[in-house]
Amino acid sequence: MIKLIDLTKDFKTTLAVNRLSLDVAAGEIYGFIGPNGAGKTTTIRMMGGIIEPTGGKILIGGIDVSRDPVGAKKIIGFVPDRPFLYEKLTGMEFMKFIADLYRLDLRAFSRRSLELLEQFALLPWKDEIIEAYSHGMKQRLIIAAALLHDPRVMIIDEPMVGLDPEAVRMVRDILKGLASQNVTIFVSTHTLSLAEDLCDRIGVIHKGTLLAQGTVAELNLAAKTGEARLEEVFLTLVREA
Amino acid sequence: MSQTVWTLLRPRLLSARSGLKPDARGTNRARLALFGLIGSVFWGGAFAVFYRVLTYFQNVQDFGDILAMKLMSMMVVTFFTLLLFSGIINSLSHLYLSRDLSLVHSLPVSVGDAFLSRWLGSTFDSSWMVAAFSLPVFLSYGLVYQAGLAYYPIVLCAVFFLCLLASATGSLLVLLGAAVLPAGKIRTLFVILGVGLALLLVLVLRMIRPEQLVNPDSFASAVLYLNSMQALDWPWLPTTWITDTVRLALKKEWGLSLFNLALSASCFFSLMFFTRTAAGFLYFRGFSRAQTTAKRLFTPVKFHGYGWESLLNFLSRPARAFAVKEIRSFFRDSTQWPQLFLICALIVVYLYNFSVLPLDKSPMKTIYLQNVFSFLNVGLAAFVLSAIAARFVFPAVSMEGEAFWIIQSAPVSMRTFLWIKYFLYYIPLLVLSELLIIASNFLLGVTPFMMFLSTVTIFFLVPAIVGLAVGLGARYPNFKSENPALSATSFGGVLFMLLSFGLIALVIMLEAGPVYRIFMSRMHGHAFSLPQILWFILSFCLALFLCIFAVFYPMSQGEKNLLKR
Repeated sequence: MIKLIDLTKDFKTTLAVNRLSLDVAAGEIYGFIGPNGAGKTTTIRMMGGIIEPTGGKILIGGIDVSRDPVGAKKIIGFVPDRPFLYEKLTGMEFMKFIADLYRLDLRAFSRRSLELLEQFALLPWKDEIIEAYSHGMKQRLIIAAALLHDPRVMIIDEPMVGLDPEAVRMVRDILKGLASQNVTIFVSTHTLSLAEDLCDRIGVIHKGTLLAQGTVAELNLAAKTGEARLEEVFLTLVREA
Repeated sequence: MSQTVWTLLRPRLLSARSGLKPDARGTNRARLALFGLIGSVFWGGAFAVFYRVLTYFQNVQDFGDILAMKLMSMMVVTFFTLLLFSGIINSLSHLYLSRDLSLVHSLPVSVGDAFLSRWLGSTFDSSWMVAAFSLPVFLSYGLVYQAGLAYYPIVLCAVFFLCLLASATGSLLVLLGAAVLPAGKIRTLFVILGVGLALLLVLVLRMIRPEQLVNPDSFASAVLYLNSMQALDWPWLPTTWITDTVRLALKKEWGLSLFNLALSASCFFSLMFFTRTAAGFLYFRGFSRAQTTAKRLFTPVKFHGYGWESLLNFLSRPARAFAVKEIRSFFRDSTQWPQLFLICALIVVYLYNFSVLPLDKSPMKTIYLQNVFSFLNVGLAAFVLSAIAARFVFPAVSMEGEAFWIIQSAPVSMRTFLWIKYFLYYIPLLVLSELLIIASNFLLGVTPFMMFLSTVTIFFLVPAIVGLAVGLGARYPNFKSENPALSATSFGGVLFMLLSFGLIALVIMLEAGPVYRIFMSRMHGHAFSLPQILWFILSFCLALFLCIFAVFYPMSQGEKNLLKR
């Protein structure tokens, strides 16, 4: 469902992503981990069609993001690492804005938006201006809006930042539920326990290069760390790179 | 002043220094050179105009000096008014709304020090431009009236205290306003300020009644006129002390001049004492209250369950989504309101002035003048439109701010996004410009040909100016700015103004020749020769081409830049 082929992003002063290739199957949850500045967010922003790669290809559901960005975006639900929104709109108005951009059926929108706002515990604040929302509420609103058009692929950058423990559990359960419905999830995170618990496979990126990928057991093999937890595997892989 | 205040000001000074350093792409240098050039042209222009006017006044027997001093008094009042309004807006922003205030108030500094550092920043921001452009005015007075050397330092001190007085008054008003207004309504100060500014502008301009100057019948006698000009300004106003400081220094009455300067200085120090004392009691309380979410000023009414959004149902869904978002964001942001009121006031003044133009008092033929004014009116309306576009259309892309990722990740192409933005501004600005042109032409009573020509010219200039504004706004966006509306004064904003003014001037110049020929031939009943007809066609086609080019080229450049981000 997701295919990255020799993906490269060169900012002239920094080679952020260097010939990155990977495949993610439909219904799979793929974790993307790496130290700060490793190239995670750049990769995710290229996949979401937000920045252009300087080389390589991104295929989402078989659609080349460079050739048909609009077509690819129709099947993607994108969640950035920082919850910047239109602060002067209310939560419900923002959902309607997204529904109009994705040309969703209006009757389905009414039902679905209320359902999602309730699921993300935002229903009591739906008519409040976003400016008044806390960081966590904004993050939840972004995730709710990303799910509004029933995407086939979710691309999520740091989903748990700013969320309270209850919301973390809720988001984790929602992502697992989506994967069981064959939605592909590509998630970048620093929360290694979450990656370990949630993801089917994990890719470790460092200095723009994919160091290793696979299940936690496969990563242990690659790092020669026996049956260690993901944290130790990660630190070993990065240290030795 | 305590060390803490300097420490609090240091980040600002360091940021300014970084902004002056040359960057890798040389953009900073280009920006500085452009701003330096434009500033010098304006500065030199202001000096030349005042020097010329004052030299002329000096040659007018009896009246000259009185007129020059009256002009000085008016200039000081104008500078003070500008400084006061700018001081209120800057104080509100620096003291209550800036993003870095949370950090400042979390630091172990006293409320007094925090207030003083913010006030100093606000004073600089609100004053530097007025101060810089007041200097050529006073310099020309000094040179024309051959003032002594001591005049110049005294003028500098007078301008300095004028700025401080206005800023201290503005801050005190904001402190009191923030304490009186209910929490969440502090931003309403912007709206109050906007209404006040608009009313003041209309009142002042109508009280001056400049059209009377060309109508000698309105003055009963020269003595009456002289008396009105010589009427003393109110002696309790700081502006009177500042005017007297400069006026008396000009006459080399140093003692009295310094006395007035001392009056201004003592007034400032007393005012600052009150302001700082008030800040000790009110500032932190007001700041805490300002942290509440801004309350909406009004809730739009719905008619049979339909809101105003239903009026946009004819648009495609993404276009409607953008339009609704844009309109809501705009009207819920009260910082936009003062300028909106100001524009309304300017339009009223603009049209009213056309209605009172004393064309029949002129020695030239009225029909000729009516049509000349009508033609010049096209350029004037287009310049007004450029200024509105610089303030509202150029920052439209930057207004997306950090939320621009929503557009980038949405299934809408960048081209569609930009064209939706374009039409969102094009339609209202076209309606506004055409109304302005048609109304002023009616007031002038122009010929049908001039009515047709001016409405058609503005019909093609509006899309060009909007295209230039949206395109350059996308070419030079600033998504990280705390106040994207300020991008009108950025490199891209200034470039837009220059190109827009250039375009208007070119179109007007291309049309001027043929229009004059056509108009004269109609008056005298001459026919056109073939070369003349070819010249007309070529000129109008070139003007049309320029307008079309100004729509599409900047838009494509803007799109390319946004896609590269």
